[in-house]
Amino acid sequence: MTANSDFDIVLTYRRILNDDPELTMPVAAIEALVEAIAQSSVSTVAETLDLLERHTAALKASIANPISLSAGTDLFQRYLITTLNRPASLNLGPDDDFRAIRNHLLSNGKLFVERAKQSREKIASFGKHFIRDGATVLTNGGSRVVGALLRRAAESSTIRFRVVYVVPSSRSSDANEGDQTVSDLRAHNVPVATISNSAVAYSLGKVDMVIVGAEGVVENGGIISRMGTYQMGLLAKSKGKPFYVVAESHKFVRLYPLSQFDLPIEQKVLDFKVTDDPKTSKSDGKDAVDEGIADMTLKHASTGLNAQDAVDFTPPDLISGIITESGVLTPSAVSEELIKIWF
Amino acid sequence: MAQSTVIQAPGLSTFLKSLKTTPVDPSVEHLISLLKRRQIRNSRPCAIATTALLLRVVGEFKGRDAAKLVERIRQVGRRLTSAQPREVVVGNIVRRVLGLVREVVDENADGQTPTGSEAPTPVPQHDSLHRPTLASSMSTFSPLKHAAAEPMHVGVYDGNMSDSGELSRRPPLLTSHTSYAPPSAGPLVNSLFGLFSQPIDTPSATSTPSGAQSPNGKTTFTQQNLERLGELSRGQTSLDLKGEVMEGIRELQDELETSDKQIAEVALEHIHANEIILTHTASTTVQKFLMYAARKRKFTVVHAETYPHDHTATHGVLLTGKKRESHADEDDEDDKWKPLTEAGIQVYVIPDSHVFAIMSRVNKVILATHTVLANGSLVAAAGAHMIAKAAKEHQTPVVVLSGVYKLSPVYPFDIDELIEHGDAGGVVPYEDGDFVDKVDVENPLYDYVPADLVDLYITNLGGHAPSYLYRIVADHYRSEDITL
Repeated sequence: MTANSDFDIVLTYRRILNDDPELTMPVAAIEALVEAIAQSSVSTVAETLDLLERHTAALKASIANPISLSAGTDLFQRYLITTLNRPASLNLGPDDDFRAIRNHLLSNGKLFVERAKQSREKIASFGKHFIRDGATVLTNGGSRVVGALLRRAAESSTIRFRVVYVVPSSRSSDANEGDQTVSDLRAHNVPVATISNSAVAYSLGKVDMVIVGAEGVVENGGIISRMGTYQMGLLAKSKGKPFYVVAESHKFVRLYPLSQFDLPIEQKVLDFKVTDDPKTSKSDGKDAVDEGIADMTLKHASTGLNAQDAVDFTPPDLISGIITESGVLTPSAVSEELIKIWF
Repeated sequence: MAQSTVIQAPGLSTFLKSLKTTPVDPSVEHLISLLKRRQIRNSRPCAIATTALLLRVVGEFKGRDAAKLVERIRQVGRRLTSAQPREVVVGNIVRRVLGLVREVVDENADGQTPTGSEAPTPVPQHDSLHRPTLASSMSTFSPLKHAAAEPMHVGVYDGNMSDSGELSRRPPLLTSHTSYAPPSAGPLVNSLFGLFSQPIDTPSATSTPSGAQSPNGKTTFTQQNLERLGELSRGQTSLDLKGEVMEGIRELQDELETSDKQIAEVALEHIHANEIILTHTASTTVQKFLMYAARKRKFTVVHAETYPHDHTATHGVLLTGKKRESHADEDDEDDKWKPLTEAGIQVYVIPDSHVFAIMSRVNKVILATHTVLANGSLVAAAGAHMIAKAAKEHQTPVVVLSGVYKLSPVYPFDIDELIEHGDAGGVVPYEDGDFVDKVDVENPLYDYVPADLVDLYITNLGGHAPSYLYRIVADHYRSEDITL
């Protein structure tokens, strides 16, 4: 923000997320970065990369859970580096390579967003084959991709299926999204049962398959997703139910968590206390709609994610398949996709 | 009288013979009826029949429009697969051929200037291609009739096959369609960067030609390349689409022929001296694999007989080295068919029910398969799941042998759909009226074995972990062809 003091990447990011509730965090981050480049007057590659780096750092620092966001910023950065190294691959024209790429980015910013949304639709059309006639699907709330998939399946009238919906606790940031999906499905004549997280094991006997969304898909093929996904995975595995993850491929993130506590974010989940502790400030009664905004509205000194917005890590051996817009992948395919862009 | 000896039960060989003389459309009908009546069954015969038919289809295709050719192949493919959805191999072959067409087109789009190429305009042509051929085909249905009417064509097919084998040994300059993964041209399109790619995605714009393929690069001129160049310069639309595709199909046929051999060649790496190997059903792939190892090593084979649906064939393999039901004239030329016992291998036959009991002594399980699915699971002769499960229990490695042609891009959405049920008379003979009246008898032919029970797949490309199969699928099938 030294280069041009009037541009605030965080504000831009927040505005973009706010304007379009359909947007995911990585795509919003890419949008914000594109705008940053547009606002700036950089003219060389090194300058651009430097600018990106600064903005990315600012963005990451501003929200509590930057995993999903960093998938977008990393992807964007790698894309720039790769194309700047091999400008011919873009076929943008013989003249000034850098300017051509810059123009391409600036003029197609909206296109990226469109494409990101399309990929959700594409996933839905892939994924709806997984839902068979007479099946009962268990899902956990909040994911827009899962919502799109189920809605798509519901619209094709040939499949009759039922949904068991694990609703997030009402205080979590994306409870509304879940409610919306449930009422949509019910309107399409799909019987939906809503259960709490504690009833997952109980309901699993009636369930044929589990479909979850993800905030980030990490290098080893595991996923980072809302708290409770890991236990759903474990339970599904122990009951022999297929466990599918639905995620756009721009959520692939270069991260290799070894355990739950190896994530690069701070979470206030395990909060050990004794009785004579002073009352910790329970000040965050946030009711924002979107996960991204909720994460960054209140940011005081030692915050981590609260229990209801926390995430956990589901290791790859619990996952039967990852449904992306480029096809259905096994967890081991994720690393290959990442290697393709990083090395 | 002499003719009556020629008459065979309709099957693969009669179909291939009749294919020589029958026009394409009746041949399609013929194959459909054979598939429907299960007169051609199991992966390899289905694959061979489909490739031969598609070779004919492409050969008789008139016109130069790649999009029309794709649509034509698709249309035939759709009918074949709907005739017998459980023979997944048929669909695999159709997809491979479609991939060939696309590859030829793409390559040409790369080599030429984008203006001249017949870029695949994906406009499906629904006009004359979809003519209903059902009514006229009744007379041509009977394979018996063909076999009796054209006895002079017996040897033709063999000759053609060897010829094609020669052809496909041409220098692998332009493509490496069939077996080996084509180098991924245009990584930008396939990778995660898809989000950023150019708005107008012409294939010529995004996939970068690797230089060697461009007509200007004077480095890699071989005879064929020169020929091709000559054609290109003669007229811009003279891309020999048909020829290239047919060549590709012949390579595919060659792959079908040699895949068993290629798999067998790694046998020594997997079978060690004095091991006890457990296998089941009659599979030529497994048999060749074991025979290859038997040349050098002494080991013991425990063979589960797969009663009731496959035990005759299994016994036949053990006795003569060859499936009992298969026709004598099919593989006449090679006399490599010897039973394992002749190679000095000790073979025990056990009923399937003894598998668990004997598993503790088994060193390795080798399974044949019917189809391998994209997520690494497989469909194999009934009993396979139980064997794999027992092996898991005893931590015995399970190795699955499968040609790449059996590898399908299909996901096991519905497991029950994949499993075929056979003649219940095999379990309890129908003469036993009392029994059949009172008890329901089932005879499932296949088992679904989930991926986590398999340790290793050996294909003609080498050994792969089950979780890696998605990659091979991606290399062999175009994503636009996955739904036919």
